[in-house]
Amino acid sequence: MVGTGLTHWGVRKATLKELAQEAGKALFDDVDNLPKAEVDSLFVGTALAERLAFQSYVAPMVAEQLGIHPTRMLARTELACVSGQLAMKMAYMAIATGLSDIAAVVGVEKMNLPDMAETQASLAAILDREWEGVAGMTAPPYFAMVAQRHMYEYGTTREQLGLVSVKNHRFSATNPYAHFPKEVSLDQVLNSPMVSTPLRLLDSSGITDGAAAVMLAGEDRAREFTDTPVYIEGAGQAATGNLTVNLPSLTEWPHMRRAVRDALSMAGVTIQDMDLAEVHDCFSISEIIEYEELGLAEKGKGGQFIEEGQSEIGGQLPMNTRGGLLGCGHPLGATGVAQVVEVVQQFTGQVPQERYVGGTWALTHNLSGNANNHSVLVLHRDS
Amino acid sequence: MVEAKAERRVPYLLDFYPLQGEEHTRIHPFFQHLQEGRLTTTRCTACGEVLWQPRVVCPHCNADEMEWVDLPQVGEIFAFTSVQAGAPKGMEEDLPFVVGIVTLKGTDMQILARIEGDEESLEIGQPVRVTVERLADGRVWFRFRTVEA
Ligand SMILES: [Zn+2]
Repeated sequence: MVGTGLTHWGVRKATLKELAQEAGKALFDDVDNLPKAEVDSLFVGTALAERLAFQSYVAPMVAEQLGIHPTRMLARTELACVSGQLAMKMAYMAIATGLSDIAAVVGVEKMNLPDMAETQASLAAILDREWEGVAGMTAPPYFAMVAQRHMYEYGTTREQLGLVSVKNHRFSATNPYAHFPKEVSLDQVLNSPMVSTPLRLLDSSGITDGAAAVMLAGEDRAREFTDTPVYIEGAGQAATGNLTVNLPSLTEWPHMRRAVRDALSMAGVTIQDMDLAEVHDCFSISEIIEYEELGLAEKGKGGQFIEEGQSEIGGQLPMNTRGGLLGCGHPLGATGVAQVVEVVQQFTGQVPQERYVGGTWALTHNLSGNANNHSVLVLHRDS
Repeated sequence: MVEAKAERRVPYLLDFYPLQGEEHTRIHPFFQHLQEGRLTTTRCTACGEVLWQPRVVCPHCNADEMEWVDLPQVGEIFAFTSVQAGAPKGMEEDLPFVVGIVTLKGTDMQILARIEGDEESLEIGQPVRVTVERLADGRVWFRFRTVEA
């Protein structure tokens, strides 16, 4: 990675195209010595453009907005909440195979429509629409059942879930790009409106508009554009089919364990070598299970991990320093890219002091659908 | 049986309920059986696996000869949630509603559907029975309803 760009996230008075333009401006302002003509490839991560912006064939549309004319590769990736990280991975593959020398990645989603029920219907179509969406299933009911089972099987408490939101909002309060740049108390989380029992509004990531962008260049050219390139050293992904009732478990995510293991082993490091991690806290319960599947907490003890402050700065592994999905919101295609942006900015000291960790190794994790798919990147900066 | 509250008027691309006739889908017997009050699925005649959802090709052995089998009409709640906000288009008036996963009696098969019953008293392990949901346009779907143990 040689440069990054972010838009403000939130309920934006802006279209999908305008968000893409803003991300492109931020990116090219950051890599200001890179002429657009040298960008040979573009990868666009967006999940629901057909439904939420009535726009197909999104990659060329984004090329038009950015004013770039790809001569090597042009592609759009769609994998629901993992769309953005998948775009990162495709760009990495293109560069690693020599198909591209310089590739731009844009993750973008416009989610706030005049009728929120239409957005919710499109989100329900991320699950199996015919067999599960039809019952009114969307992400909140799914993760609510995961939370119910985790509380039932392991005694995880309502307060422990709430602490995840408190931590991530404390970080997002330092992030002017976040949808929710405000601290919240545990009391506020526990008294926020119920969404899907037992999960409340402040246990849930927002319906957010936003975009993020990253520029990748091969190792041979990276230092032309920055003195502090950040490298993708490992990647892993594991998945199963999408029917909730055919998942191996609600409370164990073996595909995450596999993706984490593969990404770390490809990089030749362990989880203990990580200085920070960006993990997919679409709901408070998700981050608790992620502590367990990262191998940092024993199965069922994720709640204790947050109680002990182990995912805070100064804990075992600081997580979601940009504010996570809970604090920043979750424009589906943009999230995986924005997580990488946070790591690059941490490594290069571009974040506010209150959330600065620095470091040289980081892991980013995305999940999608009903946690049936997990994708992980391991990132590194030369010290 | 559950009668849908009102006729749902949504464009086809916002209609959650599948088209059910023979001209639309190869698993149309599923919907015919449901019209008769039976919850059924396909069983692979080559490897014997009972499949959910009903299919035309077996994901285990790749055979494409299926037979229809009746599923147990009763089961136990494995997990559930009361949805209070964020309903998809066409379901706003259903709020609040309960969605749950039910383990069918005597099997390890699970099915996800709406659960009808006193929301306050629902719990994991509670017995439920299949009930047919009838849409105003004649199509059908299925829900579960709590029963005495
Ligand atoms: Zn078979």
